Amino acid sequence: MSRFSTGSYPAALSLVAVAALALTACSGAGSTTGSSSGGGKTLVVDTSFNLKTADPGREFEPTGQIVDKALYETLLTFEGNDVTKPIPGLASSYEQSADGRTLTLHLRAGAKFSDGSAVTADDVVFSLNRVIALKGNPSFLLDGVTVTKTDASTVTLVSAKSNPALPFILPNPALGIVNAKTVQAHGGSATASDAAEKYLNSASAGSGPYTLSSFNTNTQVVLTKNPKYNGAAKPTYDKIVIRNVQAPTQKLNVQRGDSQVALDLTSDQVKGLGGGLKVSSGASSDVIFLLLNQDTKVSSVTANAKFVEAVRKGIDYKGLLTLGGAGSVQPAGVIPSNFLGALPASQAAGRDLAGAKAALKASGIAKPSVTLGYPSDLTVDGLSLQTLAERIQAQLKEVGIDVTLAPAPTTTELDNYRNGKEQAGLWYWGPDYPDPSDYLVFLPGNLVGLRAGWKAGADNELTALGEKAATTIGDDTRKTQYEEIQTRLNAGGPFIPLMQPSRNTVSAASVTGIAYNPVWTIDVAALGSK
Amino acid sequence: MRLNLLRRLPRAWRRPLAVCGGLVAAGWLVVVLAAPLLAPHDPLAQDLPRLASPGAGHWFGTDELGRDVLSRVLYGARMSIPLALLLVTLSLLIGGLLGACAGFFGRWVDETVMRVADLVFAFPTVILAMVVAAALGASLENAVLAVLVVAWPSYARVTRGLVMGLRNREFVLSGRLLGFSAWHSLRVDVLPNVLGPLLVLATLDIGTATLLLSGLSFLGLGAKPPTAEWGAMVASGTQQFDMWWMGVFPGLAILTVVLAFNFLGDALRDALDPSTARTIGAEKERVA
Amino acid sequence: MSPRSAASEATGGRLRPPARGPRAGLLRRHPLARFLLRRTLTAALLALGVTLVTFVLTNLVPGDPAAANLGQRAIGDPAIVAQFRHQHGLDKPLPVQYATYLGNLFHGDLGESQQSHQPVLTDLGTAVPATLELAGAAIVVSLVVGVAFGVVAALRRDRFTDQLLRVVSLLGVSVPTFWLALLAFYLFFYKFGIAPGSGRIAPEFAPPPDVTGLYTVDAALAGQWPVFWSAVGHLMLPALVLTAYTVGLLTRFTRSAVLEVLGQDYVRAARAKGLPGRTVLFHYVLRAALVPVITVAGLAFGALLSGTVLVESIFAWPGLGAYAYRSATTLDLPAVMGVGLVVGIVYLTVNLAVDVLYGLIDPRVRVQ
Repeated sequence: MSRFSTGSYPAALSLVAVAALALTACSGAGSTTGSSSGGGKTLVVDTSFNLKTADPGREFEPTGQIVDKALYETLLTFEGNDVTKPIPGLASSYEQSADGRTLTLHLRAGAKFSDGSAVTADDVVFSLNRVIALKGNPSFLLDGVTVTKTDASTVTLVSAKSNPALPFILPNPALGIVNAKTVQAHGGSATASDAAEKYLNSASAGSGPYTLSSFNTNTQVVLTKNPKYNGAAKPTYDKIVIRNVQAPTQKLNVQRGDSQVALDLTSDQVKGLGGGLKVSSGASSDVIFLLLNQDTKVSSVTANAKFVEAVRKGIDYKGLLTLGGAGSVQPAGVIPSNFLGALPASQAAGRDLAGAKAALKASGIAKPSVTLGYPSDLTVDGLSLQTLAERIQAQLKEVGIDVTLAPAPTTTELDNYRNGKEQAGLWYWGPDYPDPSDYLVFLPGNLVGLRAGWKAGADNELTALGEKAATTIGDDTRKTQYEEIQTRLNAGGPFIPLMQPSRNTVSAASVTGIAYNPVWTIDVAALGSK
Repeated sequence: MRLNLLRRLPRAWRRPLAVCGGLVAAGWLVVVLAAPLLAPHDPLAQDLPRLASPGAGHWFGTDELGRDVLSRVLYGARMSIPLALLLVTLSLLIGGLLGACAGFFGRWVDETVMRVADLVFAFPTVILAMVVAAALGASLENAVLAVLVVAWPSYARVTRGLVMGLRNREFVLSGRLLGFSAWHSLRVDVLPNVLGPLLVLATLDIGTATLLLSGLSFLGLGAKPPTAEWGAMVASGTQQFDMWWMGVFPGLAILTVVLAFNFLGDALRDALDPSTARTIGAEKERVA
Repeated sequence: MSPRSAASEATGGRLRPPARGPRAGLLRRHPLARFLLRRTLTAALLALGVTLVTFVLTNLVPGDPAAANLGQRAIGDPAIVAQFRHQHGLDKPLPVQYATYLGNLFHGDLGESQQSHQPVLTDLGTAVPATLELAGAAIVVSLVVGVAFGVVAALRRDRFTDQLLRVVSLLGVSVPTFWLALLAFYLFFYKFGIAPGSGRIAPEFAPPPDVTGLYTVDAALAGQWPVFWSAVGHLMLPALVLTAYTVGLLTRFTRSAVLEVLGQDYVRAARAKGLPGRTVLFHYVLRAALVPVITVAGLAFGALLSGTVLVESIFAWPGLGAYAYRSATTLDLPAVMGVGLVVGIVYLTVNLAVDVLYGLIDPRVRVQ
C-alpha cells in the first residue's frame, strides 16, 4: 500500500478545519456588534416562548401577553409594576355603579390605529364582543358581561352579577382593542366563525406603540415602532426583536451583549452576574402549591385530614425557598403576597416536624405512600417543578411519608389535574387578573377545588364566604373577607401554598424602565435607553 | 466458522484498543456491582451545599439540590449499563428470531417481516421513541421499550442476510434431506454460524443503546427522578452553564462506556472471518 | 441520532435485479423505469403506513390535546373545550378522523397545528429548510473529512495513522451529541467568544427573502453578504457538532470499502501494470469504493433530518427536530403526523436517490 502517496491529505484536511474555525470566528465577531449601540435602536429581548397566537381575542399565553401589550391598547391599564390601581388607557376615565354591575368608560379623544383611522366606540364594542364570541382562552375574562355603545365616545359594560374586579380585568392585553374595519376586511367577525387570526398573526390592527413586522411562534417576533401612536409615552426603540431562547442560553446571550434583556433567568443563574448588567428581582405573582386530593376514590390517604395536616407541617418551606433563590417568598395563603387580600407573612405555615409526625400518627395510616404528579417540563419563573418535587419528596421522607414522583409531560399531566385524578399534585396558579376574586377558584366545587377532588358542599361555610366576597365592593371589606377565606382554606383545605418564585429580569446597563408586571410580564414599549 | 471466530478471538483481545476498551468496560461493570461501596455519599441525599464546585468531600461537585455528583455518576452506571445490556439482548433475541425466520422460510414470512422493518426504518427514530415514551409515561423501562421498537430491525436484517446465505449451503441442505425439521436445522446448523457476527453487532450496539437511552432521558422521556441517570444529569447541567461539573462528568461517563464497548466491538469485528464479513456486507460497519 | 437504523437499511435485497415479467413493454424495456415505479409505489405505501402508525400512537397517548392547548382556566369550561374539539375535528370517531386526514392529505392539506394555529405545511415550510441547511452542511463536511480520513486509514493500514484515525472515528461515534453540543456552545460561544449565539442569524438582521428557505443560499442570492456571513457563522458550530458522528461513521466505512477494493484483482492488475499510485487510487479504488460510501452518507443524511432534535434544542435552531419535539410533547396531532410524513418521505426519497446513484456510478449494478 505504501506506493500510494498520501502526504497531501492531512494537509488538505487541516486546511478545511482551519477555514471552518476562521469562518466561525469572523461571523461570531460580526454578529455581536451593532444591535443596541448605534442610532438604529434595536432592542433584543430573549425569553422562553409560550406563544400560540398574536390575535388578542385568542391569546392568553405569557409571551402572547408581552407581544399584544405592545401592539394593542386596552381600555384601562396599569402603571409599571403597580397592579393595585387601574389607570386610563384608551378610556380616559370610568365610573362604576354602586352595585358593581355597570362600568361606564369614556374614550380618549384622538387615539388612532396604526392605519391612521380613529379608535371609536364601535371598535371597542366589536373587539370585546369578539373575545366573548370566540370562546377562546381569554373569553372567561368577560363572562356575563354585555358590552354596549352609549354614544360615539362612551361604552357601557354591564355584568350579570356584581363585578368589582372588572376594572382590574380590562387591562389584560387579551382585551386589546382592534381596528374593527381592518379585522372584518380579513374575515373577522364577533362570532364563532371569525377567521381573522391568520391576518392578525401576520400584521397587527391596533393602536399600540408598536406594529407587528414578523411573527413566528417558535423563533422570534419582530415589532416596529408605530409612527401613528399618540399615547402618553412615545416608545424609544425603532425595532424590538423578541426571541425564543432557553434560559441558560439567555444568560450567555445577555452576558455577551447578544441581547439586551433576558426575562427567564433563575436565581441560580443570575448569581454573580456582573459586567454592567442590571438584575431586578422580586417575588413573582405565580403561586406554586401542593394539592392533596380529597376524593377517597382517588386516594384514601390524601383525603385524610390528619394526613393533610402532617404534610402541611412536614414541609420545610424555608428549604424550598433556597431553590427559588433570593427574592422568592412564601405566600401565607393562595393569594400572592403583592395582591389585595393577601394574608400577612406572619401567618405563613412553618415546619413542625414533631407536629407532623404526631398528625401522621393520628391519621391512623400505617405506611403512608402517595404519588405526586407534576408537569416535568414546566418551569415557573425559571424554577423547574421537577427540582421542587424532588426536594419535597426528600422532606416528606423525613416525616415518614413515602412520596413516589410521577412526572409527565404537561399535556398528559394537565389532563390528570383537570380531571381531579392526581393523588397529590404540584402546580401553580398565575393570576389572570390582579384581583383576589381570581382566587375563588380554589374553593370547594370551583375550578381548582374540583381538581383536588374538593366537591361542592365539602365546606358550605367557605362557599358562602366566597360568594359574599365575590360581590362585595370596597377594598377594606374585601380584604378582610379574603383573609378570612384563606385562613379557613389553610385550616381545612386541600391546598398547601409553597412559594412565589423570584422573578429575575436581567438587562444591559443601557436599558431603562424595566418593571415586572404580573399580567403582561414586561411592557417592552415602556423600555427606554440611556 | 464458529471455531474460526473463537480461535481468532484471543488475538483480537490482544489489540491495545481492545485491551483498553475491555479494561474500561470491566471497570464500569465493577462500578455497577459495587456502586454502594464506592460512592462516598447517598446519591439521593440533599445534604451538601447546593451547586458547590468540585473539591474535597465532593470531587465532582454537587448539583442543584445539593447531591453529590460523583455518587450520582457512580450510581448512574447501575441504570444505564444494565438497561443497555438488556436492550441489546432483547433486540438480539427479537430481531434475530424474526430475521432468521424471514431468511429461512422466505416468501410471505420474509415479505411481512421485512416490510415491517422498512416501516420502522422509514419512521423517525427519535420521534417514534418520543411518542412511545409519552404514551406509556416517562420511565427508563418504557424508554427501553421505545428504543426496542426501533432497534430490532437491524438485527433482523443482518440475521436474514446471513441465514439466506446459509440456507442453500450444502451442510444445511443435507441436514434437511436427512429429515431434520426446519426448527432443528435452524437451531443446529444455522444458529451457530450466525451467532458470532450477531454478537459482534451486539457489542457495537451496546454503545448505541446507551447513547439512545441517555438521549431520551436528556429529553425528559427516560429516567424517573430522583433516580441518578446520566442523560438526565446532563440535562440538568444544561440549566447551569457555569456549573460545568453538573453536565461534564455524567457526559464523560456516557462517553467512556460507549467508547469502551465500541473499542471492543471494533476489535471483535476485525477478528471476524473475512468471508462472513463479506456475507453480511458492510452491515456491521454501518451499524457502528 | 439514528444513522444506525438508517444506515442498516442500505443492504439486503434492495438491489434485486429487475424481474423480467411479461409486463408492459415500456417497463420491460426500461428496467430503471420499472424499478423506479416499483420503488415509488412501495414508498407511497410506506408513507401511508407511517401516517397510520403515527395516528394510532398519538391517539394512544393518555392526554387530551385540548388540555395541552388551552389555558388552565379555559380547560375548566366545557363550552370552550367543546369548541376546541369541534374546531380541530376531535369530536369525531377516530376512523373518521383518520379518513378525513387522508382525504385532506390528497389535496395537499396537512391540517392546522394546534400549537402554532398555522397550517402544518406552513410550519414545515420554515422548519424543514432550517434542518436541511444544518444537515446538509454537516453531511458535506463529513463527506470531505470522513472520506479523506478513511482513505488515509486504509492506505496506512495497521500503522500509527490508522490506529489514530480509528480512535478518532470511534470517539466520534461514541460521544453523546447533546453533551458535545453543550460543551461546544459553552466553550466557543461563552468562554472564547468566537462563535455566534443561538438561532440562525443575528437578531439585527431580517431573514433574507425566502427562495429556498436556506438562509445562506437565500442571502447569497439576494446579495446580502452581511446576512450571509451571519448565517454561515450561526451554522458552523451546530453543524460541526453533528459531523462528529457522521465523520466517525464515514471514516470507518470508507476505510473498509477501500480495503476491500484494494484486494480486488483488477486493482492488483492495474498496479502490476505499473500505473502510477494516484491514477490507481482515483480511477480504480475511489470510484469503486465511493458507491457504498455514498449510500451510507445518503442514509446518514436522511437520519440527520430527524436526528437533530438534541442539537437543535441546545442551539435554539428552529428546525424539524425542535418542531417534532414540541409537537410530540404537546400532542399536536396534525403536526406530529406532518413531521412523520416528511421524515418518512425524505428518507424514502434519499433511499431511492441512492439506489439510482448506485446504478450511475457502478456500471456493474446496471449490468445485473
